[in-house]
Amino acid sequence: MRAIDHHAWSNRWSDRHPAEKLVPALGLLGVALVSPPLTTAPLVWVVAVFATVFGAGVPLRALLGMLAAPALFLLAGAPFLAVSLDFTEGFALRFSPEGAHLALAATLRALAAVSCLAFLALTTPVVDWAPLLRRIKVPAGVVELILLVYRLIFVFAERAVTGRRAQAARLGYSRFGHGLRSLALLAGGLFQRGLEQARRMEIGLTARSYTGELRVLRAEQPFSWGRLALGLLGVGLVGTTSGLLARALP
Amino acid sequence: MSAPLLAARGLDYRYPGGIVALRALDLSVERGRKLVILGANGSGKTTLLLHLNGTFRPARGAIWLDGQPVAYDRRSLVRWRCRVGLVLQEPDDQLFAATVEQDVSFGPLNLGLPEPVVRERVIEVLEALQITPLARRATHTLSFGQKKRVAIAGVLAMRPEILVLDEPTAGLDARGVTRLLDALQKLHEAGTTLVFSTHDVELAYAWADDIALFHEGAVRVQGEAAAVLRDREAMEQSRLRPPLLLEVADLLGAGQSGAPTPRSRESVVALLRRRLAGPASPVPAAVTVEHSRHR
Repeated sequence: MRAIDHHAWSNRWSDRHPAEKLVPALGLLGVALVSPPLTTAPLVWVVAVFATVFGAGVPLRALLGMLAAPALFLLAGAPFLAVSLDFTEGFALRFSPEGAHLALAATLRALAAVSCLAFLALTTPVVDWAPLLRRIKVPAGVVELILLVYRLIFVFAERAVTGRRAQAARLGYSRFGHGLRSLALLAGGLFQRGLEQARRMEIGLTARSYTGELRVLRAEQPFSWGRLALGLLGVGLVGTTSGLLARALP
Repeated sequence: MSAPLLAARGLDYRYPGGIVALRALDLSVERGRKLVILGANGSGKTTLLLHLNGTFRPARGAIWLDGQPVAYDRRSLVRWRCRVGLVLQEPDDQLFAATVEQDVSFGPLNLGLPEPVVRERVIEVLEALQITPLARRATHTLSFGQKKRVAIAGVLAMRPEILVLDEPTAGLDARGVTRLLDALQKLHEAGTTLVFSTHDVELAYAWADDIALFHEGAVRVQGEAAAVLRDREAMEQSRLRPPLLLEVADLLGAGQSGAPTPRSRESVVALLRRRLAGPASPVPAAVTVEHSRHR
């Protein structure tokens, strides 16, 4: 998660208006979902990877690392689609050609879809979604909460990591039993510190005239129709190519 | 003499559970001065600072602003906190927004300023604290020193008359301290009244106009910095040692002829060098005394 966050903040496209990334990504996702997967999905996947790595400049390793988990999950699940259980004569496990086709199609399509989402996650900081959420009428309180939790995750993650290190330095994880006890203590301690943190943060906020609403400036991100059009053009190209391919290959 | 800008008169405060934190505390903050609240750890400095902006309400006594005791209703508190800005010791307790720019904009937006004005103020404060390049950075990717400056920027953006800082130099390296003090000096020259708490006597001596010596929940002595630090009895009572620079300067006879006592390390070293080079100086004896004191 830290890696995703790091790249979202530091890639070449992180300052771009979120809509310029969201609309093409969703378009690409749509193409991947409606077109025949065997030809379209690889194309979508390549385009998404290309945009992430060469467009936004996110290292390929980071992208592949992020895709590894869903890919493993898909690879583990696919074989079960390719076989069928037959109960007519007792019990038989049978390989079915349609099943195999289905497995391949599902895997490719899912991978393509995940790569579109990975593109979004790796190029757009969480904070940029806030104006969009507000625009689609998510209540202000919920958006504030999302942003506050986003910030606090890192405060607590840091405390959890240092706390764990301090425990490990005193052999808190040397045996399984010790480990369980240390973990319980750490979790309890973090909970307590969370409450204290909340109290102190309230003091800090009231010192700045907090009255129950966390209003902050929105970042100025000039929106460009040109860039959006360019993105959509790419999506259109992918769609047409996949249509032509589908007709050419029976 | 006119009334002090901000004052505490006869403050008593107990924490829930009966622990006495402040006891008949008096403090005056004079306009345009740099006041250091000097005391050992756990002496109640933070509790006092939280009274200065109305976060805590004393059991007895009152806080006075411009010669008027302040009320604790909502509107008075808002007006009070616009004038007295408080920076907490731990920046993570204060920074809540995901980016630097957003966090700094929080205070001015609460003042009801229009967005373009807020944007200008954010740019201005970031510049004053030399953190302009951090504007669009995520808060959690900052170093401790950077977070500290962002926390100060967030309060400064509200343009308080009095800036109160709790242990602002704690956790900073020497360069961080220098940069922070430079920034504070500029604020001081621009007319902001500054109050900060510390247990560092050297820092207090180098920086303060006035010092309030804190011990067991009360201000023992308050006055001009060098005078307070020379008060051996009060300093010992507060379990603090006088700053080395002041001791050396005094041994060299500085300040006796009516000249101001040298404050900076450089000026004390220069004085020492002059004495060592000069004829028939009393320095050898003084150095021996200094030596044996630390053995």
